[in-house]
Amino acid sequence: METDLRRYQRNQRTISVDAQEKLFNSTAAIIGCGGLGGYIAEELARLGVGQLVVLDGDRFEVTNLNRQILATESNLGQWKAEAACERLRTINSSIKVVCVREWFEEQTADKVLRGVNIVFDALDSIPTRLALERASHRLGIPLVFASIAGWFGLLGVSFPGDFSVYKLFGRHAQESRGMEVSWGNPAFTPAVVASLAVAEGVKVLIGHEVSLHQAWLQIDLLDMEFERFSITD
Amino acid sequence: MRVTIKLFATLREGRFKVESREVPENVTVQDLLASLNIQLQEVAIILVDGRDAHPAQELREGNVLSVFPPVGGG
Repeated sequence: METDLRRYQRNQRTISVDAQEKLFNSTAAIIGCGGLGGYIAEELARLGVGQLVVLDGDRFEVTNLNRQILATESNLGQWKAEAACERLRTINSSIKVVCVREWFEEQTADKVLRGVNIVFDALDSIPTRLALERASHRLGIPLVFASIAGWFGLLGVSFPGDFSVYKLFGRHAQESRGMEVSWGNPAFTPAVVASLAVAEGVKVLIGHEVSLHQAWLQIDLLDMEFERFSITD
Repeated sequence: MRVTIKLFATLREGRFKVESREVPENVTVQDLLASLNIQLQEVAIILVDGRDAHPAQELREGNVLSVFPPVGGG
């Protein structure tokens, strides 16, 4: 545990000293460094999660500027994973950051997720989310899944064997993308949903009961409704 | 018979949040959605009384149908 504990002083007492140590001894993978991923990675670094694995095979482009916190006017064209690593190292030099400049693929998941204690879904494709869940389940790693579209979003925690993402998206959903194709993603939506994902994920790491196990939170920023639904077989 | 329909997220646009409706006996989820001009491609999650339901499922008196569109961005 690093010696400069003043950095985490304002985590107390929401995060106890023991919990802070658990965070520092944890490894989190953030699959995607875009809208959701940028905020998730930023917050996990500030919280003091000891090792972060950030993955993205894409580069920044101008249309990312409306919502992707890692995108700036001067880094357009840069690899997102590299920009993430640079940013995270400036926020917290006491944690380890592993930069994976690749797209997520089930075949390479074992390599990417080795030693990881929690996976954060920050993807923008439904089939890839299904693959991420399969891989996470196979490797015994809890997954915080999250997705956004327009004013709306959802998230939940899928533990090995739950197949929550499959139950939500693999049964009736036919397309690889959702309503975000026509509704876009304004800046506030990824920020809200990412933060909720981190809050749930922290609970997994510190051993606190999660709120969204075998469930999801439906987020509606247009009508300001936040409703929890159970996922049934 | 009467059922309650709850629409979520983008499906509310031009429609409603929640409505109680008189529908034919044994109407299926799919038929009811069609009557609301909701195509199955616009739907990701279907719940009847809180439980996952198939589009071909027939509704019963007092059922609450909840429908969610696919949300896949990140």
